[in-house]
Amino acid sequence: MQNPKGKMQNAAAVFVFLLATAPCIQAHHSFTAEYDSNQPVKVTGVVTKVEWTNPHIWFFVDVKDAQGRVTNWGFSGGPPGVLQRRGITKNAMKTGDVIVVEGFRARDGSNNASGGRVTFPDGRSVFTASNEDKAPK
Amino acid sequence: MYTNLKRGRAVSMALCGLATALVVAAIAIDRAQAQSTSGQIPRQADGKPDFSGMWDNPKEPGAKGPATVFNRSRMSPFVPGGEALFYEPRTGDPRHDEPRAFCMPSGFPSAFLGPYPIQLIQTPQYLVMSTEFMNVTRIIPLDGRPHKTDIEPTFYGEPVGRWEGDTLVIEARNYKRWSLDDWYYQNPKEYRMHTEALRTIERLRRVDLNTISYQFTVDDPKIFTKPWTVDWEMKRHPEWEKTGLYEMVCNENNRCEGGKCRDSK
Repeated sequence: MQNPKGKMQNAAAVFVFLLATAPCIQAHHSFTAEYDSNQPVKVTGVVTKVEWTNPHIWFFVDVKDAQGRVTNWGFSGGPPGVLQRRGITKNAMKTGDVIVVEGFRARDGSNNASGGRVTFPDGRSVFTASNEDKAPK
Repeated sequence: MYTNLKRGRAVSMALCGLATALVVAAIAIDRAQAQSTSGQIPRQADGKPDFSGMWDNPKEPGAKGPATVFNRSRMSPFVPGGEALFYEPRTGDPRHDEPRAFCMPSGFPSAFLGPYPIQLIQTPQYLVMSTEFMNVTRIIPLDGRPHKTDIEPTFYGEPVGRWEGDTLVIEARNYKRWSLDDWYYQNPKEYRMHTEALRTIERLRRVDLNTISYQFTVDDPKIFTKPWTVDWEMKRHPEWEKTGLYEMVCNENNRCEGGKCRDSK
């Protein structure tokens, strides 16, 4: 019998694989309407919430700076139906997961961004943004 | 040792021959299956081709990637003043520059050119064409009725279908001036628009079990000197039948509407 941690790792692996192989996840609007490609963002933190909602999923990450201050960042991903068709459910990313997220900051300068790339602690890195969106390098 | 080598080569050649035979047989079976399906397109009780099923969005044969856009090289020349109507520069006002960021509609054909599944449901009277993208649905009468003359133009136009042999011809009019395609994904400085004079003609022909030939004609005499046509195709995806189209509600959680994000709390 598989332990719950193993199941979680498998689910994460499926999530990573399917996102990495997803041919296209489209935004419902152009990238530049909401995000600034001149402001790349890269944070490491703990997932605090996942909103499995249309028109994009959102996941939120607590990021601690050198002084120990914690800031909550929001990142957008693909539409849930597109992810779901590939077998990715809302349980694929869980509260408490530690992730590195790369993307581009919202044009309003708030702590929100496109969640272009997610890297898990074991080094697996996936492109999570829309094809139309700018990809973090 | 020489004998062993010879025996080894003989075994190796036999295995190689077997593998080749298996590959040839597999190709033959594959071709036979393809041939057996190519001539068998589903038909309705009245004999008309049945387009019902789950399909990928229209695109150039073999094309991959994001939303389909029209190739400028396929378009007709502009009439005087047409270019200014076609290219709409961004102004800095998000409601003008990207109305979809406020959950405004994409319009036709743009909404059906994104990489989302399209479900076709056909009856003798109607073809229902529904895309997962914002769940936009066109209900197209197939009786060739005249277009209305007393309605306000709309984002998705007024489509009417008629049969020309096995080809379903859908002509749509009564469009509101709106974006033509998703060109602004490639060029963030400008939209490509059509005018209210737009007339679109789609010609759908099911060339085999898994393919619809989808010919699309744009006729906008306020922009172009003459109509122009592109040849796209739609590919069948029976594996999408199991789940069907998912719900996509733009206003559910449009957190950064027009570039201003809501607080996450």
